[in-house]
Amino acid sequence: MSDVSNGPSGNQESVRDRLKSPAGHGEQSGPGDSRGSDLSTSDFQQTDSRTDAAEAVGHGHGQLVEHGTTVLHPGKRVPLDDAAARAAERKVAGLFLLAVVGVVGFVVCFIAVPFDFGTDYSPAYTPLLGLFMTMALVGVGAGAVLWAKTLMVDEEMVQERHPFASEPETRGEAAAILAAGFQDTGLPRRSLLRNSLLLGAGSLAILPVPLLFGLGRFQHKEDALRTTSWKKGVRLVRSDGSPVKLGEVAVGGVETVFPDVPDGNKAADSASLLIRMRPDELVVRESRKDWSVDGHIVYSVVCTHLGCPVKLYEQQTHHLFCPCHQSTFDASREAKVLFGPAARNLPQLAISVDAQGYFIAQGDYSEPVGPSFWERKS
Amino acid sequence: MSLATKGAEGTATWVDDRLASSGFVKRSLNKVFPDHWSFMLGEIALYSFVILLLTGTYLTLFYDGSSREVIYNGSYVPLRGIPMSSAYESTLRISFDVRGGLIMRQIHHWAALLFLAAIVVHLMRVFFTGAFRKPRELNWLIGVGLLVLGILEGFAGYSLPDDLLSGTGLRIAYSIALSIPVIGSWAAFLVFGGEFPGHAIIERLYPIHILLVPGVIIGLITFHMGLIWYQKHTQFAGPGRTETNVVGSRLYPAYAAKAGGFFFLVFGVMTALGGFAQINPIWLYGPYDPSKVSAGSQPDWYVGFLDGSTRLMPNWELRTLGHTFSFNVLFPTVILPGILFTALALYPFLEAKFTKDRAYHNLLDRPRDRPVRTGIGAAAISFYILLMIAGGNDIIATIFHLSINEITYTLRTGVLLVPPLVFVFARRACLSLQRADDDLLHHGIESGTIRRLPSGEFVEETVALPEQYAVLLTSLDTPARRALAAGGGHGDSDLATVRPREVQARPRGFFRPKGVQPSGAQHGSTVPELEGAQLENTVD
Repeated sequence: MSDVSNGPSGNQESVRDRLKSPAGHGEQSGPGDSRGSDLSTSDFQQTDSRTDAAEAVGHGHGQLVEHGTTVLHPGKRVPLDDAAARAAERKVAGLFLLAVVGVVGFVVCFIAVPFDFGTDYSPAYTPLLGLFMTMALVGVGAGAVLWAKTLMVDEEMVQERHPFASEPETRGEAAAILAAGFQDTGLPRRSLLRNSLLLGAGSLAILPVPLLFGLGRFQHKEDALRTTSWKKGVRLVRSDGSPVKLGEVAVGGVETVFPDVPDGNKAADSASLLIRMRPDELVVRESRKDWSVDGHIVYSVVCTHLGCPVKLYEQQTHHLFCPCHQSTFDASREAKVLFGPAARNLPQLAISVDAQGYFIAQGDYSEPVGPSFWERKS
Repeated sequence: MSLATKGAEGTATWVDDRLASSGFVKRSLNKVFPDHWSFMLGEIALYSFVILLLTGTYLTLFYDGSSREVIYNGSYVPLRGIPMSSAYESTLRISFDVRGGLIMRQIHHWAALLFLAAIVVHLMRVFFTGAFRKPRELNWLIGVGLLVLGILEGFAGYSLPDDLLSGTGLRIAYSIALSIPVIGSWAAFLVFGGEFPGHAIIERLYPIHILLVPGVIIGLITFHMGLIWYQKHTQFAGPGRTETNVVGSRLYPAYAAKAGGFFFLVFGVMTALGGFAQINPIWLYGPYDPSKVSAGSQPDWYVGFLDGSTRLMPNWELRTLGHTFSFNVLFPTVILPGILFTALALYPFLEAKFTKDRAYHNLLDRPRDRPVRTGIGAAAISFYILLMIAGGNDIIATIFHLSINEITYTLRTGVLLVPPLVFVFARRACLSLQRADDDLLHHGIESGTIRRLPSGEFVEETVALPEQYAVLLTSLDTPARRALAAGGGHGDSDLATVRPREVQARPRGFFRPKGVQPSGAQHGSTVPELEGAQLENTVD
């Protein structure tokens, strides 16, 4: 078999160049050989008709051939003999038939394996579907790959790249057409036309803006961020709506509480944590002495960092821990930040006890709860 | 002639009569694709996306993207009677009441994770081999866009079940939006339709997840593939491979059969994962309730680095002029990813600027041949991995019984110190590997056979480097290598005659190794030895 060389046609052939040319396949073409003549003698020629034309042109200005495809060499794999090919065929066929088994198994399991969760359910349902689906897909996939790797021709082809950039003349012509057309539009000299077009088309950009603002009701943004559902005299209730009575929470215990208002347990900003510790463990400033009742103290659970509920309470150390980004607060010292990315203490809710002995709020939180926002002043 | 052949011919004639398509078909079927295992990484990403479309379409037939409250009355007993959003209820229905629904959900989730993983590894391949260089900068930009869109798409999909975990993620996203200066509270309220949790976010994320973002992704993938087709694939250096050709196999039939088979293999891996590896068991998390959270809350892996940067950031917040600047939120979640993705997108242009390399590149680099680029990439990866580790600091603390505070302080130091060290180390390692290559080129492979010369001198026989390796090694274009390769019979003496001006004209300095000297000078190899090694390589 004769071989097609891709030797460079430069005149100074260095070791580097020789290294890059294919070795071990017949004679090396000399410098300056016409590539076209080599192609025409190749038994494995796969050029299309355009190649020869392009080749002729290509030699004219030293450009690359477009879409020429030629066999460089037949690849490294030794073609199988008849017996080996038949064995390979059987393997590929086996894999394709495995796919049939997979599909049958999938259909059978899909219908027949019990699926009624809670009454008649097999935990193997999903794994079985997965098993047979995988069998079907891998059968087809592995079969195709094996087929290509054993029975199809192993060839190594070389194809010339076309130039990435256009010819300078073409570029010039395109630019000229663009410029001429622009002149024809009159835009360069008719300033009224140009400016009114800019204004008119530019103003279209404003059209979607009102629609954007329609996405949300935004009349009272600051109120929404600064206030919660807590009000003076509102009872502290659990998520099931039951009020919390003084003495119901043991020392060291906690209770998640919500304001006793409609949908109070759904407002994301109102959830709070009632913690009871020994009164002597509590260290608060003078002005907050009457915000807590007998060691019962309430903080917002909304993390001042990114809003996750801070509800992991460590009884011994009085640490409140946020599971999202590990900010740690000291519940015995006004929930000040001990560690982590949170910048502010958890807000404290002033509480007292009503005539029946139930906890009530003295009012809303004295500062916005939750993450910081631009309009927040302190 | 068989019926099938006849039918195919008939169809081809029918189409060609109308579209004159045979020329295009002929050229396309003959198109040559270079083979290398690393070129399949992008394919995995593409196939994962196809699997996402298939499984996702199935899921939309059952999913109800609505935050309307319903009382659960389905098959999963532990949650019966509990109020929840219709979104969560329909996801439970897919998992427990739709035959094959759970496996579809799990394949979809696994495919999403692997889609992004394949994109990231594909990006590394493109980066470290310099495949992004001229003329392929556009495709690099599209790729970075696909990565960002993939992350957004993944996050939106993660949020749709409206379970406790995904609701927590949404609350964090809302709070991040709040931290943006000037427009923060507006942006957060408009997106969520009011103060968190609002009543609109699930309804809005759904069309974004199934229509808007996938539509843009499909468009970009089409463009991405079109450019690969049009510009032709890059290839590694090798025998017969030049900057102006492509060596490989033709699209038809073997390459197409392999690529098609590979799609089914990727799909098979996904179905195996979906069938056997449980993922996102939302029924264990429960419906979203803003007052609840579970310990050890973790996002999907591709958001992990942002979670980590958020956990590591010190609690810096500036309150002044009646406003609050939350650096503790803004920096790790907005500014840092902004810088990272911008730098990633601009990298090809920055490298071209610093190396003054404006040439076309169709032959790929070996990472060791570009020590600074490889160093930058390795440093970036180390930074990313440290952030991911930080994102799991609570899990690490639990498993290894370590103090979470100490892990955090260590990682804070680590993200500042480790990447520069990795850069220095990786760059040095590349230079050492280059020297080892120089040795191989000079001396060939040591054979272990000792020969005694008539003069009594003992020398070791060397075996010539196999051709494909020699070609690969000489693809590095440094003055030393060029002297080695072009020297032929002149060996070291040629190094002295390399014209200084020519050396200077080559891009050198920061991005090019200055330190590599031809090892012949160091090892004092003899001229005949070099000559022999070179000539043996080039027997033809």
